[in-house]
Amino acid sequence: METGILFDVKELSVNDGPGLRTSVFLKGCPLRCIWCHNPEGLLPRPQLMESGAPCLGCGACRGGCGHADCRPFGRCLHVCPQGRLRVCGWREEAGALAARIREQESLLASSGGGVTLTGGEPLLQGGFLLALMAELKPLHVAVETSGCGDPDLFGEVARRADLLMVDLKQMDDGVHRRLTGAGNGPILSNLSRLMASGRPFIARIPLIPGVTDTPENLRETARFLSPARNLLRVELMPYNRLAGAKYASVGMEYRPEFGASHPPNIDGSPFEARGIEAVVL
Amino acid sequence: MTDRIASLKDYIVSKKHQLNLRDIETDLAGDFSRRGLSARERMVERLETVLATEQPFILPGERIVYTRTVRSLPELFTAGEWAEIRSGHYIHELGYVSNLTPRYAHTIAGGLEKRRGEILAALPGCSGEETGFLGGLLRAIDAVEGLADRYRDEALRRGNEEAYDVLGRIPREGARTFREALQFFRILHFTLWAEGEYHNTVGRFDQYMLPYLEADLEAGRLSRGAAFELLEEFFLSFNKDSSLYPGVQQGDNGQSMVLGGRRADGKDGFNVLSAMCLEASRELKLIDPKINLRVDGGTPLSVYEMGTLLTKEGLGFPQYANDDVVIPGLTALGYGPEDAADYSVAACWEFIVPGRGMDIPNVGAMSFPAVLDAAMKDRLREAADFEEMLRAVEDGIRASCAAILSGVSRLWMIPAPFLSLLMDGCVEGKRDVSLGLRYNNYGIHGTGLATAVDSLLAIEKLVFDERSVAPGVLLEAVASDFQGRGELLHRLRYELPKLGDGSAEPVRLAERLLDAFASAVKGLRNERGGCVRAGTGSAMYYLWHAARMGASPDGRRAGEPFPANFSPSLFARLPGPVSVMKAFSGPDLKKTINGGPLTMEFHDSLFRGGESVGKVASLIRWFVGRGGHQLQLNAVNRDTLLDAQAHPEAHAQLIVRVWGWSAYFNRLDREYQDHILSRREYAAL
Repeated sequence: METGILFDVKELSVNDGPGLRTSVFLKGCPLRCIWCHNPEGLLPRPQLMESGAPCLGCGACRGGCGHADCRPFGRCLHVCPQGRLRVCGWREEAGALAARIREQESLLASSGGGVTLTGGEPLLQGGFLLALMAELKPLHVAVETSGCGDPDLFGEVARRADLLMVDLKQMDDGVHRRLTGAGNGPILSNLSRLMASGRPFIARIPLIPGVTDTPENLRETARFLSPARNLLRVELMPYNRLAGAKYASVGMEYRPEFGASHPPNIDGSPFEARGIEAVVL
Repeated sequence: MTDRIASLKDYIVSKKHQLNLRDIETDLAGDFSRRGLSARERMVERLETVLATEQPFILPGERIVYTRTVRSLPELFTAGEWAEIRSGHYIHELGYVSNLTPRYAHTIAGGLEKRRGEILAALPGCSGEETGFLGGLLRAIDAVEGLADRYRDEALRRGNEEAYDVLGRIPREGARTFREALQFFRILHFTLWAEGEYHNTVGRFDQYMLPYLEADLEAGRLSRGAAFELLEEFFLSFNKDSSLYPGVQQGDNGQSMVLGGRRADGKDGFNVLSAMCLEASRELKLIDPKINLRVDGGTPLSVYEMGTLLTKEGLGFPQYANDDVVIPGLTALGYGPEDAADYSVAACWEFIVPGRGMDIPNVGAMSFPAVLDAAMKDRLREAADFEEMLRAVEDGIRASCAAILSGVSRLWMIPAPFLSLLMDGCVEGKRDVSLGLRYNNYGIHGTGLATAVDSLLAIEKLVFDERSVAPGVLLEAVASDFQGRGELLHRLRYELPKLGDGSAEPVRLAERLLDAFASAVKGLRNERGGCVRAGTGSAMYYLWHAARMGASPDGRRAGEPFPANFSPSLFARLPGPVSVMKAFSGPDLKKTINGGPLTMEFHDSLFRGGESVGKVASLIRWFVGRGGHQLQLNAVNRDTLLDAQAHPEAHAQLIVRVWGWSAYFNRLDREYQDHILSRREYAAL
C-alpha cells in the first residue's frame, strides 16, 4: 500500500474548490517561492515545529530525555509546559487516511464539496497521490498543484481528478526562475496539454505586490489562458501579509524580496477582457 | 431601513429618551408593611403606583408607543420582612416569576375588556382568597387601561393621529390589524416589566402574529415594505427600556424570540414573518430581541442561509434548536405532544412551553468534574477495573442531583397578578401563576462534561489499560497541580484523546455520563409534583464550579476554567469544527433536553464571499441532520479578537479564517494573531 508524508489535514476549507472541503496537505515541494506561506510544507520529511504560547525558558525540553521519537530533533517533545513542541509531518497509508476523511463524507457530499489534495506539491508523491485519489472515490476530489512535475503524472492526475487547480504565477521565465527557483517551461507545457485535454480546471494566480500582480503579467497570463475552453474560472489570490508568520516556528527566516507591505494590485479586467471569469478569494 | 427607522434607532441608541427618568420616592414597602398587605396585594398596588407615575413619552416619529420613564421599581418588602421570607423558603434568583413565555395572543385577540368579562364570570362562588386574586386582576386591567388613556391624550397633544386612533381601541378591544397587534404586544410586555417579572420572553412571535400580517397583506391594508418598517420599529421597542431591566449583565434580559419550527398540524411553521424577522434583526444589528430559529431534518438550505446571513452580523444569533431532538425529548419528560411541539426558548437556551409552563429550568447545576474528583479520591486506589470507577461516578451524579433538588425545597415566589392574566388557566383556576401551572418542572445544568470525559479517558488509559501510572501517583499529581510531573502533565493535556477530536472513545464516554445524568433525575419529583430535567448548559457555573476545585486528570491545572456550555476542553487540540460538531451531536441528546448549546465562534471572515454563506449553512444543516440539539454560532470580529488575546481562556474555540483555511485563534502565534487583527485593511476584498 502507498504511504505518503503529510503536514496537515484541515477541516472546513471554504476556498479550495466547491462546497465544504477537507484539505490534505502533502509535504515536500520542488519550488521555493519567495512568498510561500506554508514553509513547513517544503521539505519532504518530518520537522520540529515550535509554536503557541510563549516559551518560559524553563529548559525542560533540553534535558536529554532518551525518548526514541525525540532523538532526531535533539529536544524532548513530551515535556513542554506550554505545549510548544510538535513534529510537523507524519507518514500515513493512503487507505487509512481516506477512511479517516470519509467519516465526514455525508457533510462533504451534502454541501456539494469534497476533498482537496494540496501541499507542498502533491505531484512530488505521485504513487501516493494516485492511490489516495482512488481511495477517496466517490468523494469529489480536487487537486491543487503548481503544475511543476512529471508530464505523464500530471496528465494522469488531470484525468482522474474531478477538478484541477493549477497555479500560474509568472509568465516570464527569468522572473519565474528568480521568484521560485525554477523556470516555468515545464509548468506552461503541462498547462498547454491540460488546456487541450478538455479536463475542467481552475487557474489560480497569487497576486504578489510588484512581482506577479503587474499589469503586464496579468495581461500575459490572460493571453496564455484565453484559448482554453475547459477553464472554469481564474481565482486571484491577493498576497496575505500573514505569509511570513510560520517561518520562525520551523527555524527559518522570512525575507520577502518584494514590497510585502504594499497592497496587491487586484485587477481582474485583463481576464474579463478575454471573456474569462475572474474571482478574488 | 427607512429614514424614520434610522432616526428612531439613533435616538434610542443615544439614549435621548432616557434623559428624564423618574424615581418613585415614596417608601412603598414601609407603607405596605404598616397596612399589613399581603404579597399579592402589594404587587397589585405597586403596579398601580408605577403605571400611574409613568409619564407618557412619545418619541419623534414613533408609531408604536410606550417608553418606560420610571427608573426602578420600589421595594415590595422591608428589609426585615424580606429576610424573614428568605429564612423560611427557597427563593429563586430575585424571587419574582421569571423566564416564562406568556400567552400574549389570547389577550391581543380579545382585548382587556373581554378578559375582564372572563374574570367577572369567574367571580361568583369564589373563596375570599380567590376573590382577592381576581379582584387584583381587575385592578391591574384598570391601571393598564388608565395609562393607555393617558398615552392617547399625549398622542393627541402631539398630533400623532395614528397612535391616537390605535389607542382608541387597544388595549380595551382586540387587535384587528398587524399594527394594532404590535402595539398591543408592546403594552402587555411593558406591563410585565413594570410589574416586576423579568426575563419576559417573546415566544413564537412569527406563529401568533402571522394571521394579522397575512390578513393585512391580503386585504391590501399593508404592503410588505410597510409591514417590514413596522416590524423594525417593533424590534427597536425591545431596546428602549432594556438598560432598566434586571440581569447579570445588560443584555441578559431574556427577550428571546423563537422563529420557525413545527406547527400543531405537524407542518413547517417557517413563514413570511419568520423571514422578515431574520431580516429585521440583520438590518438593525441590535441585541434585542434575541433570535432563536427552530429547524429540523427537513428544513431547506435557504432557511439556514437566511440564518447564516444573520450570524454573519456578529450578534451571536440565531441560536438553532432542532425539533427532531427537542420535541421527542420533551414528550418523553411528560409534556403533552402539542405542548412539546409548541416549545419556545427561555432567556438563554432552556426549552419551555408557552402559556402552560411554570418551569424553573435553571434551578441548579451539577458539576461533572466535581463528581469525578470525589469518586476518584474515594475509589481509584481500590477500584478493580475502570468499570468500577465509572459506576462510582454514576453514583456520584445520582447523589449530586438528589442533593441539588433537596436544596431547593419550600420554594416561594412573589405573586404575579398581571402575568397570571397571560398564562393559561389562571383566571379559570382563580390561582396565581407563582403557585404553579400545568408544568412545574425543574431543570439542572450539567457543567464541565468535556473535562470529566477527558479525565475519565486519561484514567482508563493510564491507570487501567496501560497501567503506566499508579493510582496513587495520579492522585498525588492532581492534588499537587502536577508539581514536578511535567511529562505526565504534557501527556494528559496534549497526547490523549479529547472530546471533539474526531475519535470515538470520548463520544462513547460522553454518552455514558449524559445517560447517567438523565437517569439520575428520572425518578425525582419536586415539591410541586414536577419532574427534573437534565441539561447540557452551564450558565456561569462553568467558572464557579471550576474555581471550587483544583486540577483534574485531563491535565487541566488548578485555576483553569471548564469549557462553557456544551463544548470541548479549552486546551484540547482539535482537528477543526467539523470534528467538534460530529462529537457533540454524537450522544442521544433527547435524554438531556433541558437545553444547553454547542457553542462555537467563527471569525467573520469565514462568511466572506458570495459562496461562503451557503457553505456555512450546509455545515449547520449537517449538524442538525446528525442529531445535534442546539447550536450557538458566533461570528466574531476585531474587538472579540482583541479580547481573545487578553483572555484566551474565554475564547478557546474561536475560529479564524486565515485565508482559504481556518485555524483556532489561540493556537496561532502572537504574530499571526496580530496580523489577523491588522487585516482589516483588506476588508474590501
